[in-house]
Amino acid sequence: MTPNLRTMLGLLAMTAALSLTAPALADGVLDRGVGSEWSSLDPQVNFDAAAGWILADAYEGLVNFDAKGAIIPGAAEKWDMSADGKTYTFTLREGLKWSNGDPLVAQDFVNGILRTLNPETASEKGYYFYSTVQIKGAGALANGETTDSGVLGVTAADARTVVIEMDAPAPHMLDLMGSFQLAPLHGPSFAANGAGGFIDPAKVVSNGAYVITEVVPQSHVLLQKNPNYWDAANVKVEAVKYHVTEDVSTELKRYDAGEIDITYDIPLAQLETLKAERPGEVMTFASTYLIYYSFNLSVAPFDNVDMRRALSLAIDREVLEGKIVKGGAVPTFAYGGGFDPAYVGPQLAEATMSQAEREALAQELYAKAGYGPDNPLKLSIATTVAEINTRRANGIALMWKKVLGVEAQVNGQERKAWLDLFYTDDWGVFADNLVGDFAGPETFLSYMRPSAEPGYGWVKPEYDAAMDVAAVIPDKAARYAALAAAEKILLDDYIFAPIAIEPYRHLVKPNVKGFEPSVAGYHNSQFITME
Amino acid sequence: MLRFVVKRIWDGVLTLAALATLTFFVMRLAPGGPFSRNRKISPEVQANIEAAFHLDEPVWQQFARYMWGILRGDLGPSTRFRDYSVNDLIASGLPYSLTLGFWAIVVASIVGIALGFLGALRRNGFTDYAAGTVGVIGIAIPIFIIGPLMQLYFSVHLGWLPVGGWNDGARSLILPVLVLALPNIAYISRLTRASVIETLRENHVRTARAKGIGARRVLSRHAMVGALLPVVAYLGPAAAALITGSILIETVFAFPGIGRFFVDAALNRDYPLVMGITLTYGGFLIVFNILTDLLRGWMDPRVRND
Repeated sequence: MTPNLRTMLGLLAMTAALSLTAPALADGVLDRGVGSEWSSLDPQVNFDAAAGWILADAYEGLVNFDAKGAIIPGAAEKWDMSADGKTYTFTLREGLKWSNGDPLVAQDFVNGILRTLNPETASEKGYYFYSTVQIKGAGALANGETTDSGVLGVTAADARTVVIEMDAPAPHMLDLMGSFQLAPLHGPSFAANGAGGFIDPAKVVSNGAYVITEVVPQSHVLLQKNPNYWDAANVKVEAVKYHVTEDVSTELKRYDAGEIDITYDIPLAQLETLKAERPGEVMTFASTYLIYYSFNLSVAPFDNVDMRRALSLAIDREVLEGKIVKGGAVPTFAYGGGFDPAYVGPQLAEATMSQAEREALAQELYAKAGYGPDNPLKLSIATTVAEINTRRANGIALMWKKVLGVEAQVNGQERKAWLDLFYTDDWGVFADNLVGDFAGPETFLSYMRPSAEPGYGWVKPEYDAAMDVAAVIPDKAARYAALAAAEKILLDDYIFAPIAIEPYRHLVKPNVKGFEPSVAGYHNSQFITME
Repeated sequence: MLRFVVKRIWDGVLTLAALATLTFFVMRLAPGGPFSRNRKISPEVQANIEAAFHLDEPVWQQFARYMWGILRGDLGPSTRFRDYSVNDLIASGLPYSLTLGFWAIVVASIVGIALGFLGALRRNGFTDYAAGTVGVIGIAIPIFIIGPLMQLYFSVHLGWLPVGGWNDGARSLILPVLVLALPNIAYISRLTRASVIETLRENHVRTARAKGIGARRVLSRHAMVGALLPVVAYLGPAAAALITGSILIETVFAFPGIGRFFVDAALNRDYPLVMGITLTYGGFLIVFNILTDLLRGWMDPRVRND
């Protein structure tokens, strides 16, 4: 939507005199901040978590996530798993419709996955289907080895039945059946309009609780309630407006002025003051965003496990996050845990020590590796220039200096340069992070397989073997036990120092109810009410 | 005159071509690319994504493709904002930036010139000092301080105007226009003041006075045009800068102009969008410089004959 210049000038002349005293309005619209602008509103292409909120309002997957992020039936009313855990059969609700009234059928979900995997779509999300879970034929389609959609293990048995066949069982597969990964595709409108139809309010056809009615780049997306949604009777908020709130301090002022009901973030510098002054409005809760510092295993002395462990032990995580970074992150020594209460990770010696004990051991290991006051280790930490990251890096550099005498430099890089730097050898310590694909340990642990990410240069056949053991277990509890055994192998090698779990930080107006902590970050507007 | 205009336009086209070439290659020297690897994606799929945007081709071939696109008026697809072409994004952001810049330049010229004249005519009087103070404040306090201060006072404290965004039509425009105009009010008023004082000392003005012409008529007939020449010379490039958007203002006020696209595009290595906006900026600068020259020529015969 492009505003006409002349209309805008006319509008200005007309309203300038009248408008000065008009107050901020309470208009029944839920105003939410989304941070930087979404990279795409194409449900098969979008890879941003915040844009995922917009799309989760507009599209519904086979499953949905309630206010607390728990899996609930979505477009599918029920599903069955085969005994070997490799085949899931989803039954769609009766009488499902698209927003334009067309019937929604099982094949629309098959088409959604096919489009995500099609190399022509250039989507970054195909890996959910060939890596996070291994759906039959998904890898071959994504790599362009074949264009025959018949090889895909996702089929429509009839209009209401979607069958998904995998090469290996995956108890976490339901976590990937929401709209972020698997939105259905309305064939006729895509055939007629191409991807341009997803951002054109006149043409967009969706199946979620809301439908997109206005898109202004760098400004906002407006959604109105979709009367054809199967559960429309329980959708309370009539309209939702997602505002681009790139500058976090402007966002806070807009919140204070009543322009925004739920913010995307909270400025770090004001987090503590706000928590003290308005405890009821500040919400911080764990996300799946894990921060860890990786060591370059191909560069001495990081090839020495004693040195890596010494560096990890010397970091006082409580002081770092609580007194230096002050972003509300939760310190951790583990890698895969902390997201799913059902997962009990391996026992870690570090976790039960006092910081003084950790530091004493760190000094001992540092000396054992051949370093000391006369021969200090010099290293550089590669991080991005974002304030929170440089603060953390400087804090860690200080601790390494204080405890071990290490001379650490912080090498702040622009994000894109930092991403590429990982594949060079120009770093000793890399301020790394990983955002889980779902709230469970496996998303992290399978990422660290040497076979999955060669960039770490870690050779450990035992780890791959332990992960292979876990990968064929369909039962969740048994699988978690096997995963914990694998995590022990991973953590004992100290190829990285786990640091903390980054939280989500939001301000929520007191009259907004139903915005709850959700680890995977799902916050559908359909579960929110405004009093 | 026509020859002058044609020559300036031709020079402008050459400048833009040089700008396009330079930007195209310099931009690619920065580390990282538009699809710097998200580590979960397999190399094959990564290659597919890059091929879809022709990033797998040799650079000279990408350059030839890009230049051929420009000739057809196609600035290419955006890699950061996947739903849009660069043409779409500029068409979307430019009207906002133009509206903001237009009103800022109008406010800055009217207030700045008026303050300048008042200051020059009543030198060392109250108005002069007041105008001088405004000038110093406008120049000395950066936008990223004065902007948030005005938001806090007028929006959060008084609740008169929106903090930011584009949701209230004209009301969304008032604060950004004021903040954008302020430093320019300062420059223009100081420039006008100095220029008026200087012009009033010139021989033709003194002759006019000696002939007994009234003060008001001396000013409007004999001094005004001459005094405004330096201001016009300043306004040309300033207008180009204001109208093409202010990156800081747009960020502070969450204003959907093209300035923010530019920053986002550069950080995300969106090569086509960086190119498109650079060329738009360049085009505006060239056009406004030509207009300024024409305006000065019309006001001052000496410029015309140069």
